[in-house]
Amino acid sequence: MAKYLLKRILYGIMSIIIVVAIIMIMVYSLLDREKIFRSDPVFTKNNNNAKTTYMYQKWEEYGYLDYVTYEEYLNELVKAGELDEETRKKAVSLGRTADKDSEIVTEYVAKFTEYYEAQGYEVKRLDVVMSGRKVASGGQQRLFASKDIPLINRLLGYFAGLISVDNIHEVEGDVGERGLSFTLYDPAYGGDKFSPAIIGNGTHHKYLLYCDDRFPFIHQNLATINLGTSYSVNRGIDVFATMTVSQGSYVRSMVSYPTGLVENSADDLHSATYVGGSRELSQLNIDRFTDDYTNVNTIKAGKSRMGYSFTIGIISTFLSYLFGIPLGILMARKKDKFVDKLGMVYIVFMIAVPSLAYIFLFKAIGGKMGLPTTFDMETTSKMIYVLPIVSLMLPAVANLMKWLRRYMVDQMNADYVKFARSGGLSEGEIFRKHILKNAAIPIIHGIPGSVLFAMTGAFITERVYVVPGTGKLLVEAINMYDNGVIVGVALFYAVLTVTSVILGDVLMALVDPRISFTTKER
Amino acid sequence: MDYDLNQFGLSKEELFAKVDHSDLESEKITAPRYSYWHSVFRVFFKNKFNIVILSILGVLILFTYLYPIFGTYDKYGNLLNSSAKHLSPKAAIEQFGFSIHWILGTGAAGNSTFDAVWFGAQISVSLAFICAAINLTIGVLIGAVWGFSKRMDAIMMNVYNVLANIPYTLLIMVLVLIFSPSFWTMVLALTIIGWLGIAYFIRTQVIIIRDREYNLASKCLGTSTPKIAFKNILPFMTSVILTLVATEIPSYISYEVFLAYIGMGISDMSLGRLIFEAENAMLTPGWELEFWSPVVVAGIISVVLYVVGQNLGDASDPRTHM
Repeated sequence: MAKYLLKRILYGIMSIIIVVAIIMIMVYSLLDREKIFRSDPVFTKNNNNAKTTYMYQKWEEYGYLDYVTYEEYLNELVKAGELDEETRKKAVSLGRTADKDSEIVTEYVAKFTEYYEAQGYEVKRLDVVMSGRKVASGGQQRLFASKDIPLINRLLGYFAGLISVDNIHEVEGDVGERGLSFTLYDPAYGGDKFSPAIIGNGTHHKYLLYCDDRFPFIHQNLATINLGTSYSVNRGIDVFATMTVSQGSYVRSMVSYPTGLVENSADDLHSATYVGGSRELSQLNIDRFTDDYTNVNTIKAGKSRMGYSFTIGIISTFLSYLFGIPLGILMARKKDKFVDKLGMVYIVFMIAVPSLAYIFLFKAIGGKMGLPTTFDMETTSKMIYVLPIVSLMLPAVANLMKWLRRYMVDQMNADYVKFARSGGLSEGEIFRKHILKNAAIPIIHGIPGSVLFAMTGAFITERVYVVPGTGKLLVEAINMYDNGVIVGVALFYAVLTVTSVILGDVLMALVDPRISFTTKER
Repeated sequence: MDYDLNQFGLSKEELFAKVDHSDLESEKITAPRYSYWHSVFRVFFKNKFNIVILSILGVLILFTYLYPIFGTYDKYGNLLNSSAKHLSPKAAIEQFGFSIHWILGTGAAGNSTFDAVWFGAQISVSLAFICAAINLTIGVLIGAVWGFSKRMDAIMMNVYNVLANIPYTLLIMVLVLIFSPSFWTMVLALTIIGWLGIAYFIRTQVIIIRDREYNLASKCLGTSTPKIAFKNILPFMTSVILTLVATEIPSYISYEVFLAYIGMGISDMSLGRLIFEAENAMLTPGWELEFWSPVVVAGIISVVLYVVGQNLGDASDPRTHM
């Protein structure tokens, strides 16, 4: 069984990698990359050569290509000590056109061109654009090299950076003595309370392991998941963080900073990360911190996007099994009777009517009944969850009823049922002890999937009730051409699908002794 | 026992006539003539409910396809008439006089909601029919081969495991973004991997039937594989395929509505786009009809198509022909 599972997991990982590759081809190669400027006000403001360089800058930020300007190249040379500041100043002033370059400029332009063309870059020189006798707005001459990032490099880079493990050589610069220290009395609580923590110096995160009063009570920052950095949806933040960071209003409490300062603030000191030279930047940081670990998250009252989606999703999943299974059994038992027909009407309604239509119907009915129809993170009332949960639950119940009825009706004429009946078992016993056990196996197969996919949220439901969940992330990312988020979310979905299928198979084998992975060969 | 043979009023010769033995007559099987499709429709029309639902479908199709031919609909015809916008049916009839155009009031541009709904329905229903036709044809053909050939099964299972992981919504959105959001782009987007699920479903069905005893017997008697496929298995699949049609067509209508709602739909005024544009009208008292009309029409069309397809699927199962 272990061998079979290992094979399945390997196959799963392979298919995830292929899916990510396909998605990358779709978003980076097939989509017209000029579309990202469609609603960009800065783009329309820029003119001439400045517009072109702006486009390349943005493409680099979105991850389409690698873009190096002549100025950057010269600065690199200075850093490497191959060029002194005086020559740089002379070399950097490009002529208006190539033939007007001074001698030293021609020399370095040739070097630049040779260096980058050898690496497969495309070197582009934009001559000055004149308007009358003056240089037109944004018409300054430019020189740069660019190269599309090949799929293989992008894919390898993406998967290599997927999980990063913090270590004491992570940050650059002078941080004092690098190392880890273990303490039983976490300084973030003032140093008196018993709370074990591992604190690093030289690591990206200050706290690598700590305890607090939130679930699951012991937290780690040692390994972080990077699904891809967002560009426009949630600028500069990783997709995984976007999904898991809490939202809403600040929760202030008395926080004792490393300097001993105690202040009423929402800062979460456990989330401190290193930003080089940041302590000296502001008086506030000097007052609060003793080192450069100054970048902290804030504690907020609401749940994370995934938190909201998962809360709603998991409750509705639970309720749908709670209602769907007994109703499905009832329909099968009363086959062709009134209850069965009533159930069929309900199932047909749920399957055939566009989901958008019935969600709005629920919203209208719920609104009439006085339930809150828009989600508000600030209220403490649990009633805001009712309508989203109901909207997700009712179609799931219909689906469960449909399949369970189907499977049970199929089993009803099986020989073992006839045998049980001739043996004198009551109908109730036959249904509960024999038919249900057999009919439930395919239903059980779907349980891990419905639990895991509760995390992804439901787009229409979340949009109709304004739930700040994960459901809209993909649509939002596509609308904003946020390639990092698209790839990240797609990977997340693919991992969930693969995991839920494997878990479903394992669960099925656990409940049904006839299913065995080792004798799968036919 | 003593029978009173006189009660029949017949002579002895008539009561007991000798019949000659005939080899030809004794070989004849006296079962009623059986025609498959005849029986399907007999079973289908035996249920009065089906006649009702079929006539509703007829009326809907008539409105969807004939009404737009005879009427002309100009969305911006009343654009400059500021008193024609968002009228209730009563106010619209008062203003324009009674005609079928105004029985659902007017929309945001002073347009007739009734016209908008049926012109939209034409686009949505056509989209659903075309997509269902393409997907089912490709899906059933590939699914049949996939189920039959073991080598193909090994390849296709891997293809399926990969492609099924791609979020469908993402694929459609990317395609809509690459091409212009036209009707045929949407058809392409909905069919490019839409057949895969159908093919997988058919494959499973084929595998279930493929190794049944009667097929094994057929194979032993030397029937060729195509004949087994078309004569032994395809009739068995008719009810499965019809049931699939019943679920597929409404699902495309639903999908079109969903895509329009997230702003990824086609540029034509389909039902989905009407719903998307009238979303705000739902919350404004007096304007709700603009929103609910396309929703209700989409719902009714889907339900009726689904029910007809399901019942036709039930009727096409030979086991119900008894």
